Amino acid sequence: MTRLGEREISPDTIIYFPRGLVGLEDKREYVLLPVKEEKSPFLLLQCVTDPGLGLLVADPYAFLDDYDVKLENPERKTLKITNVRQVAVLVTVTIPQNRPENTTLNLQGPIVINTEERLGLQVPQTDGEYPTHFRPIVS
Amino acid sequence: MLILTRRPGESLYLGDHIKLKILSVQGKQIKIGLDVPDDMTVYREEVYLKIKEQNRQALESSQQDLLAAAALWQSLEPKK
Repeated sequence: MTRLGEREISPDTIIYFPRGLVGLEDKREYVLLPVKEEKSPFLLLQCVTDPGLGLLVADPYAFLDDYDVKLENPERKTLKITNVRQVAVLVTVTIPQNRPENTTLNLQGPIVINTEERLGLQVPQTDGEYPTHFRPIVS
Repeated sequence: MLILTRRPGESLYLGDHIKLKILSVQGKQIKIGLDVPDDMTVYREEVYLKIKEQNRQALESSQQDLLAAAALWQSLEPKK
């Protein structure tokens, strides 16, 4: 059971977050579910053990060309990253209630995933280079 | 809250594995060096609170708004 209704989840799609997410440290196992059938940059990061816990996330590169996430060595180690091709980046999305046109991407707390090892980590970016809120939909 | 006074160059141990060293004091800024285990997270408070709040917001979006935002994006399609 997920926020999007009942979904079949195969155990080999589970992504393990050894440190949970910021503010959700005791929730460690998630799967990524598409929000819609068609191709969309929006995904739901659904906690496997808590059906009510699903974060809306997006592929930032669908909106931005130059978004660099800085990973320190301990973070690389936690994620067991040996090759840049293993890395996927997601950002959390905020949709103000009833104002989807004001949707923002939260660039300061990207979620980095090692797609081969199926490990995830939220990596706060501290250099302040990016705005916390980026509005992808300009109407 | 435990309050201790330290001078630049002096350190504190929090348990066996965390060392906190006051490196320098310049006006209102204090430079702190931290030796912590690799698996321990260290966040600036304002960054931690902001991301925690954003995670909460990402949890709260309604199904309806979610689909509406996805639809809006689709109708716009990025430039590239």
